[in-house]
Amino acid sequence: MFLSNLVQKAQQLIDPSTLPGPLANLTSNPTGRPSKAQLFRQQFRLPDSQNPLHEITAELTLPTSPQSAKNAAGQTRNWDKSNWDAAPRERGTHYVGQLHLSEGFLCFSTVNTSFVGNASAAASSAFTGRTHGTGPAGNGFTLPLCAVRRVERLHTQSYMFALSISTWNGYDSAGGSGGGGQEDASGKVKAPTPPKLTVQLEGSRQQCERFCDGLKKGLRQGIREVEGMRQVTSDCYSEYFLRYDFEDLPKPPSSSDGRPAGDGEGTEGEKGPSDTGLGSIFKYPGNSRKLRDRSKMRLWHEYLRENGRNCTLVRQPDFHRLIRVGLPNLLRGEMWELTSGSFYLRLQQPKLYQQILAKHAGEGSLAIEEIEKDLNRSLPEYAGFQSEEGIGRLRRVLTAYSWLNADVGYCQAMNIVVAALLIYLSEPQAFYLLSILCDRLLPGYYSQTMYGTLLDQRVFESLVEKTMPILWDHLVRNDVQLSVVSLPWFLSLYINSMPLIFAFRVLDVFFLEGPKVLFQIGLAILRINGEALLDATDDGSFISVLKSYFARLGASAHPRSENPKHRAITHFQALMVVAFKEFEGITQHTISEQRAKHKGPVLENIESFAKRTSIRNLGPEAKKLSPTDLAFLYDRFYAVLYARQQRQQVLQAAELEARRRQRQDVKAGSGAAEGVTPEMGRVAMGAGEKTAMDYDAFREFLAGVARWAVTDSPSSPVKEEGRAGGKGGGNGYFNAFPGRAGGTGRRMSVWGSGPEPAEHDFLQRLFARWDCEGTGEVSLQNVVYGLAPIKGGRDIMASIAYFFELYDDDKDGRVDREGILRMSEALLFLSRRGVESGAGAAASGPVVGADGEIKSRDELFLGAVSAFIRRCFEYADPDSGEREREGQVEEGVDLLDLNDEDEKAGAEQVDEPDHPLATPPPSTSNAKDDGMLARPSHHTFGQTSTAPKHAAANAALDPSSPVHITLPTFRMLVLADETLESFFDSGFANSFHLADAPLPSSTITSPSFLGLAPPAAHPPISASPTQAASPALSPGDAGGPHIPAISPGGAGAGVVGPGRGLRGMLDNIVTDGMRVAAEVRRRMDDAQKELDRSASVRGTEDDEEGEDGDETVGDLLDGADADAGGAGKPGLSEGRVGGPPLSPPPADGGKGGTEKSTMFER
Amino acid sequence: MADSSQPSAPKPSSSVKLVLLGEAAVGKSSLVLRFVNNDFQPNKEPTIGAAFLTQKCQLPTRTIKFEIWDTAGQERFASLAPMYYRNAQSALVVYDVTKASSLVKAKHWVAELQRQASPGIVIALVGNKLDLCEDDAEGGDEGEGEGQGEEAGEEAGEGKGEGDDGKVRKVSAKDAKSYADDEHLLFFETSAKTGHNVNDVFTAIANKIPEASLKGPRGGATAGGGTQAAISAGQDSSRVNLNARQGAEGGPKEGCAC
Ligand SMILES: Nc1nc2c(ncn2[C@@H]2O[C@H](COP(=O)(O)OP(=O)(O)O)[C@@H](O)[C@H]2O)c(=O)[nH]1
Ligand SMILES: [Mg+2]
Repeated sequence: MFLSNLVQKAQQLIDPSTLPGPLANLTSNPTGRPSKAQLFRQQFRLPDSQNPLHEITAELTLPTSPQSAKNAAGQTRNWDKSNWDAAPRERGTHYVGQLHLSEGFLCFSTVNTSFVGNASAAASSAFTGRTHGTGPAGNGFTLPLCAVRRVERLHTQSYMFALSISTWNGYDSAGGSGGGGQEDASGKVKAPTPPKLTVQLEGSRQQCERFCDGLKKGLRQGIREVEGMRQVTSDCYSEYFLRYDFEDLPKPPSSSDGRPAGDGEGTEGEKGPSDTGLGSIFKYPGNSRKLRDRSKMRLWHEYLRENGRNCTLVRQPDFHRLIRVGLPNLLRGEMWELTSGSFYLRLQQPKLYQQILAKHAGEGSLAIEEIEKDLNRSLPEYAGFQSEEGIGRLRRVLTAYSWLNADVGYCQAMNIVVAALLIYLSEPQAFYLLSILCDRLLPGYYSQTMYGTLLDQRVFESLVEKTMPILWDHLVRNDVQLSVVSLPWFLSLYINSMPLIFAFRVLDVFFLEGPKVLFQIGLAILRINGEALLDATDDGSFISVLKSYFARLGASAHPRSENPKHRAITHFQALMVVAFKEFEGITQHTISEQRAKHKGPVLENIESFAKRTSIRNLGPEAKKLSPTDLAFLYDRFYAVLYARQQRQQVLQAAELEARRRQRQDVKAGSGAAEGVTPEMGRVAMGAGEKTAMDYDAFREFLAGVARWAVTDSPSSPVKEEGRAGGKGGGNGYFNAFPGRAGGTGRRMSVWGSGPEPAEHDFLQRLFARWDCEGTGEVSLQNVVYGLAPIKGGRDIMASIAYFFELYDDDKDGRVDREGILRMSEALLFLSRRGVESGAGAAASGPVVGADGEIKSRDELFLGAVSAFIRRCFEYADPDSGEREREGQVEEGVDLLDLNDEDEKAGAEQVDEPDHPLATPPPSTSNAKDDGMLARPSHHTFGQTSTAPKHAAANAALDPSSPVHITLPTFRMLVLADETLESFFDSGFANSFHLADAPLPSSTITSPSFLGLAPPAAHPPISASPTQAASPALSPGDAGGPHIPAISPGGAGAGVVGPGRGLRGMLDNIVTDGMRVAAEVRRRMDDAQKELDRSASVRGTEDDEEGEDGDETVGDLLDGADADAGGAGKPGLSEGRVGGPPLSPPPADGGKGGTEKSTMFER
Repeated sequence: MADSSQPSAPKPSSSVKLVLLGEAAVGKSSLVLRFVNNDFQPNKEPTIGAAFLTQKCQLPTRTIKFEIWDTAGQERFASLAPMYYRNAQSALVVYDVTKASSLVKAKHWVAELQRQASPGIVIALVGNKLDLCEDDAEGGDEGEGEGQGEEAGEEAGEGKGEGDDGKVRKVSAKDAKSYADDEHLLFFETSAKTGHNVNDVFTAIANKIPEASLKGPRGGATAGGGTQAAISAGQDSSRVNLNARQGAEGGPKEGCAC
């Protein structure tokens, strides 16, 4: 007992299928194989909310009804025969199988689970051999727990542990209508009580107990749903049907004679039959006499009486046979609902259809436009679709589904399928059935890329190749493409290919046995027409052979036979025989295997098609970039979207699971949540609505192509809290991971395995610029158009202008003081990991400064920026009075503060030891009022009156004279400085690493699936010139190994120490009297401290971090938090501005520690 | 050739697979209907994937039997397109002269075909709905063209009046023509509604099909990659020209009596 417990635990550990729904889906799918939970749901056609909780071997005993005993006397019921041999048993039919319990269902099936060694095993499997579908093919039942009225435990000698289950059906089935006594004279009788189900559990006592405990619990919960169930079942024709003896049944308006129906209202003021589709108004297709509809009805009447109806139906072999011969018109819809499982979906959310329609009433969409176009060409030959009634139903069902599943929306062919369904089903019923079709039976068929369709065509072809090699060779030789012929068969479920009455017969079996039926029928069609097809040598003749065959389906297959019985066999019957006898071996398993086998190539083809198309669609501006760069951007773009969606999935699933754990939420899932697989978001699977990056995705994207976009202070496991309030611009900057629970055990980086992106004013500006339509998202085209001027033109003037425009907020050709400072900041931000000037030999190698001291490239850059700021203010033009006074004052205040702060920078440094120069606070940034530059002013607000000391030295700094620079000035200033000139000439462009010089693979998230060769081993840009230069100069210098060192170095590389490069700049900067200086100084001091330390401890990066710890680890973590928060919510800043803990760590320079360690490694 | 493969036919006959591509609602199906049935009416036929039609085109010395695949309109069916153009010898890429974006889409299709379809594929660029640009009497449903009375009844195809056909025309014939010339495409402006130029398009294609790729009624071509390649279009794109029988002597300038 203890042991079995252990074993079970162990199994749970290895078997993902025991995980609840969403998780099981995720964990089991890497192989592409369905999980056990999925198989379970498939077998019993249960909604996604159901999971196999308990399972036990059991024997089901059904009493032999008096009626059937009576009637069966003459009939051969050979599948029952064996039972009679089983000696001391109770009389009745016995089935051995597996009894399953899920949250809301008790299911029993003999399929897959029957075992030998018992007398009744043969009976159990007698029929299952034929089907091998996914559906409820075996004998058994799928019983909603709410339909169970009573469960008794039987104590008999022979039954160790037996349950007797009685159901609600038959009790009060008139729904309390009271009127019209149910046993009165008019032939109406109370619907019969279905047989009690007797189930004998076969397992250890403990197993049985456990099962029963679970059952009890489920039953208690089921009580709540009884009312809903009654309402749902009242829509079932069977409820009406069984109220009468068959012979007394009021004549259904149109079923037997095809008389056009009246309005179907009940005659004697009582509830008439429920809506059985357009057919009840417009006549069902086909001649019902020929279809022998009435005899079928009689058989069903009998079957349902004995075996329960709708909810409580028990499947015995006759059930399958009755379906194989074709369902009668009035029961067709109900049986489709039951066998496909859409009934259980309806049971779960009975009002969903109406709710969706109500919710979206009056709204328009692309899908609706497309639906509208097709309404008049959906089975136009059927009278119902020549009327507003039929068209209206079709419109509403298609529209409701397009809202339910926006990813699919509307796909041509759905109109035909739904039109067909509506002949037999009410609107809501058709809606749920469509949902089951799209989500489960025909996965991916109608998706944006229709990958399911293409995949199944490939599978079909491979089956043809396997089963009919000669025909296959013929097709290949004649270059006839099978799938162009067979695609419509699958896509419209033969509805558009065969005469309707036959297509419906295919559907009857299809809903019961699953998708494999489509393949079996298709193969049989080809087999039967094999000879004729071998004569066909082109598409045209191939198609006409099949066309004429379909037209003959109703005719005798053996017209000249002597034997009248043979003559009576139609082509269609012959087709069914070939399909299910000859191709019996085509099981759902075969299909799954073939799908798994062909999936990869098919998806890749779709993706490469999508990629070609998408790149071509980019428009003329894209031509500035090379095709390889475009391909690279495409891959990178979708890799980011894909990876993010994946992560979100996992996180959501985990959260769902967490919630489920918290409160055993039985009804969590819904039909709509079904397509949850790890492949979601993959381009070929129809990435759905996600074709643009929000701000966070954009950052992630940039972090993969530009080093400066990688953060200096990666947050460890992310907590994302306090994302309140929107950003000023209202852009969708913060929709990264809705619903992610913070800090609950499972830790998963929001950024996946890639480097964590930085947050900076510059990124926001770049994003805003690329998002030229102002949608808050950037499309691939936006990205390409954003990058094209930078990478494509290679024109220094254009590049300078581009940068300038980023800061010219009001597009008046001028950048004000604030802008100038932000520009400088951005330049430092961009250069903090070195500048990659592709062409220049010196690249980022060391340069001998005027004073003979060796300065790194970055020190030079810092100097250049500093000089730039100085000159900006020197050459700035005074504002020409257009500006309001207030504005000036405000700016003045800023400046005062600045200077003031400069003054007391030394003092403040104690309070505020961080504020990295080149890394503005990641989270607190905000387009308008963020960043470190802004912050000091807040800080010192209120003590502004101190006279600015440095202001005197530079008129531009005088608060009373606001300034701006124009593009020409800016250009001049840039060109005046060699370093900046080179930056704009090539450095900036080169900092975006596209196809020719990708960043190391580690920085790219999940590149593989898009056929992206990971640019591994590719040397980072400018490595070659550097390497050429640096060893000669000074082997151990910052130059050579510097690139690898500053490259983000992969996932979550440690915190990069403060930039040593800043040190050399101290002198220059401090004297400048700009507010940057204050910051720089603080940073310098930190750097100095750090330097001092690391001078003594020249160890690994880790050491350094450890050292840092004393002062900054706390801050660091806070910074990380802030960073994480910022990821979602830049608008956060106001609330926290000035709070020291929020300040980012003294990271930066990028080169610091990392550089050192790698240097030594080399 | 008459003796080689089609003993019964008076003239040598060849099948030519033709695929229609283009944005939804530019009039692909209408063009085919006009060509095949000389009719114009709302499309009642639900198209699943693609509709298949055939029509013969009589050239003086031979008969061309077009096997036409009219691809479905919805955007998402585009990913099925490779299946249809894979072994096509000719393509009609259609745009709507009153809708600029449709030419952009047409250019994508041209690029796709040039890169992925059979190398020798004959492509015709067709600007449809020309009737909307003209103020001919029969087009009573459009008002904008009314102003150009003096141009009524003129042959409209040849780039006349581009840019000033009222507000209706959005793609000038000149622009489209020069693009077509650059890409070596046949170019026509048509109206499926009036039938203007429709047959000419098909005749021109029939004439331009290289003799070498005519293979009789598509028998005996080399074994292609089978359907393996079907979905992955273009992997064996040279097939069409391989082993193709040398066609008859008919010159490429023949008229078509279809
Ligand atoms: N005025 C005018 N309308 C046309 C012409 N060709 C097609 N149409 C209309 O354009 C719409 C779309 O036509 P259709 O052939 O279905 O386009 P497809 O989606 O490309 O097959 C229909 O309403 C046609 O009646 C034309 O030459 N002139
Ligand atoms: Mg069409």
